[in-house]
Amino acid sequence: MLEAKLEQAALLKRIVDSIRDIVQDCNFECSESGLSLQAMDNSHIALVSLLLGKDGFTDYRCDRSISLGVNVGALTKILKCGGNDDVLTLRAEDKPSVLSVMFEDSIQDRISEYNLKLMDVDQEHMGIPDTEYSASVTMPTAEFQRIARDLHTLSDSVEIDVNKEGITFSCDGDIGAGSIVLKPSSNIDRPEQSINVEIVEPVTLSFNLKYLNHFCKASGLSNQVTLRLSGEAPLLVEYKLPNGFIRFFLAPKIGDDEEA
Amino acid sequence: MGIKGLNKLISDNASLAIRQSEMKNFFGRKVAIDASMSLYQFLIAVRQQDGGQLTNENGDTTSHLMGMFYRTLRMVDNGIKPLYVFDGKPPVMKGGELAKRLERRETAEKAIAELKETGTVEEISKFERRTVRVTKEQNEDAKKLLKLMGIPYVEAPCEAEAQCAALAKAGKVYAAASEDMDTLCYKTPFLLRHLTFSEARKMPISEISYDKIIEGLELTHAQFIDLCILMGCDYCDTIRGVGPVTAYKLIKEHETLENIVQAIERDPKSKYQVPENWPYKEARLLFLEPEVADPDTLDIKWQEPDIEGLVEYLVKDNGFAEDRIRAGAERLKKQTKTATQGRLDGFFKVLPKTPEQLAAAKRKNTKATDDKKKTKKAKFGKK
Repeated sequence: MLEAKLEQAALLKRIVDSIRDIVQDCNFECSESGLSLQAMDNSHIALVSLLLGKDGFTDYRCDRSISLGVNVGALTKILKCGGNDDVLTLRAEDKPSVLSVMFEDSIQDRISEYNLKLMDVDQEHMGIPDTEYSASVTMPTAEFQRIARDLHTLSDSVEIDVNKEGITFSCDGDIGAGSIVLKPSSNIDRPEQSINVEIVEPVTLSFNLKYLNHFCKASGLSNQVTLRLSGEAPLLVEYKLPNGFIRFFLAPKIGDDEEA
Repeated sequence: MGIKGLNKLISDNASLAIRQSEMKNFFGRKVAIDASMSLYQFLIAVRQQDGGQLTNENGDTTSHLMGMFYRTLRMVDNGIKPLYVFDGKPPVMKGGELAKRLERRETAEKAIAELKETGTVEEISKFERRTVRVTKEQNEDAKKLLKLMGIPYVEAPCEAEAQCAALAKAGKVYAAASEDMDTLCYKTPFLLRHLTFSEARKMPISEISYDKIIEGLELTHAQFIDLCILMGCDYCDTIRGVGPVTAYKLIKEHETLENIVQAIERDPKSKYQVPENWPYKEARLLFLEPEVADPDTLDIKWQEPDIEGLVEYLVKDNGFAEDRIRAGAERLKKQTKTATQGRLDGFFKVLPKTPEQLAAAKRKNTKATDDKKKTKKAKFGKK
């Protein structure tokens, strides 16, 4: 039996909002240690990996591991029925056919409860190898979101180049080209505004901007986002959560010369 | 054509093996397509409103060119890299099947001649479609068109499906695309059906995984081939009275065709009769060791289209609309230029399912078939 309580429904609402463009159906895995999820989009280009440790909840109890097969669109609809500041409680039996979602509004003494029908989701679970990334860049989420949005107006793909000088995002589209350069900086008064670049060797890779914009829906979850890149691996975009993380992996675009 | 009832048998007994999806999910995949099958489809399906084939000024058919150009374009637009494979000489054993097809065509032709006097346009058109066959010239036309489009093609020494499967097995392409279910007998890792269908039909693409069939039916590769031969392939006749369900049961019980034949012959009361001189061993050999070209020796490259060449060939010689061809060619060109999107499959490996998960999947499966049976019974009850 699962019982998990969150002080603010906003956290789950934002998490589900950020993955719903990428996955339609997925399994939420609940275990003693917390709630996790791994899912790929249909075309196997992006992967979402979520972990919400049990300490991130105000109350968390799960005696046996349960897998909750959920239609993300349906879950979104139910979560929309609750306010951001409501206390949210998730409940499920050991062999559940429904997930119960309860919202408590402490100010108005309003309690609403919804049952979401669960489904069997046949999903492949991917093994993600530990990768030594060549470059790692941490920046304000708002900055990353803006870059992804602005460049998407010009083109479908962005080239990300990281070297000692900083990080460059550039694109070349039908109407013209654009580029944004960010240099490492530290802001002592407001550390969340800092840009931090760690680098082993320079990397240049191209990615699909549509997917990066989907990832940016997670911006409300954290002040800072970390991008990790390696020549031989997918891009990792990580948002830290209280006691957990949401990670997005995106396969790079492959140049034609590698084709032959 | 293909193997009778195999699709249904798979969906009943190994439902996990078939997955329906949209074309855009095959983004970035290379696919080997059975060209002869596609051309035949185009000749049948690409028609004018009155049901006649598209022709140019000289009266030569252009349906196949139209189909080849636009359906290939649709795949390329969706990020798929197609590779066409043409049939070589048919295997000797297919002679019987080919003779039958010729006969069917002749009867249809006769029917047309009769109907010309009395029949309606629809009736004539129905029989006319049965007379369709792909000529050598049309094959050559298609190759010429592909060359101009910068799409690679391969000529198989023998059956195109076998070559497609060999390419997929060698990892040169992701999957073989054909409507023909016997492609699975050549052990292609994935078979895609409905890939070259018209967009207007909104037919989802079914992706059939060979490994999951074997897993779901609980057979070895050799047994699977024997099963297909029993169910009826292009190369030899079947045992009368044995359909998909009996065939599967027989294979499960006796394991090999040899044993089945023996069991039937030994049992005087058996209701089945094995055809005389049944060449099942030869048929099996064709599936196990098909005549294919070594995939490593083939030159497979996607190139930029020759736009002027396309205009010359399609517009001037065959009367296509110039603006459409130019726009299409531009799209082809754009796709060859832009980098292809990589897929995570290349970086992350699928973890094998835990025993509990497998057990759960199986339970679900048997439950689903039980439900089906129940509804069937209920229907019979009503009668």
